[in-house]
Amino acid sequence: MKIKDLCEKLNADVHATGDPERDVTKAAAGDLLSFIIGTVSEGSAWITIQAHLNVAAVAVLKDIPVIILASGRKAPPDLIERCRTENICVASVSESIFGTCKRLSDLGING
Amino acid sequence: MAAPVCMEYRIEGNNFMVAGTASNNIKNTLKMLGIQSDVCRRAAVIAYEAEINLVIHANGGILKAVISEDKLEISTEDEGPGIPDIDQAMTEGYTTASNQAREMGFGAGMGLPNIKRNSDLFEIESTPGVGTKLISTVFFNK
Ligand SMILES: Nc1ncnc2c1ncn2[C@@H]1O[C@H](COP(=O)(O)OP(=O)(O)OP(=O)(O)O)[C@@H](O)[C@H]1O
Ligand SMILES: [Mg+2]
Repeated sequence: MKIKDLCEKLNADVHATGDPERDVTKAAAGDLLSFIIGTVSEGSAWITIQAHLNVAAVAVLKDIPVIILASGRKAPPDLIERCRTENICVASVSESIFGTCKRLSDLGING
Repeated sequence: MAAPVCMEYRIEGNNFMVAGTASNNIKNTLKMLGIQSDVCRRAAVIAYEAEINLVIHANGGILKAVISEDKLEISTEDEGPGIPDIDQAMTEGYTTASNQAREMGFGAGMGLPNIKRNSDLFEIESTPGVGTKLISTVFFNK
């Protein structure tokens, strides 16, 4: 699914669009940065409640094209700025990590 | 053979918001030099995890990257508290990260294992009360 469609289906508040046409087929969820570094497959969407600059650093490392901030976490300006520079989509959703994972799974995106 | 390329950074302790600036710099330099993308990716993980460990555990230190003809060496040196039991520190899930660091998502106890997994050679040496040295080597594909 294209990143722009994914954001729309999740009713996400998009802070940086990244590459809206890029396709995403997988996702990972978690708030422990090194755990994500060690386990995520490249190109996955990432759902987390961590909302600070290091999240962008991890996304760059693992070629994560879209970061979904769950439970209404807002992106601070420096995170948005870095995501723009790195062409990464960052968006907030009001739903929890669990709810967001369920929605993504219903959309055919899996772990 | 071309002279090796050396990069050296002084990493500030306890500033969680540096967000891997030095390691990002190393990665961009590798890309610019046309190093294989697989090596760049592994190096980026190694440098980031090593840099963050200097920040959260060691009150800062030195991060170095040396690119030579056939390999890349990433190393750190610090004068932090040291690691009393290396085997324990290498175990996935073991962490002594502060609450403040954990709140930000550090402290999975996976940084050193991530470094090791991405290295061709991995050495760590530590003396409690003196400091820690880490050397990770990645060979370029032939
Ligand atoms: N440079 C260092 N100086 C002192 N202790 C260190 C250093 N690097 C690692 N350690 C010790 O080794 C432990 C394991 O390190 P590791 O990087 O694997 O996990 P972490 O940093 O605790 O969490 P994570 O990397 O998953 O965010 C640390 O919690 C710390 O006790
Ligand atoms: Mg670590």
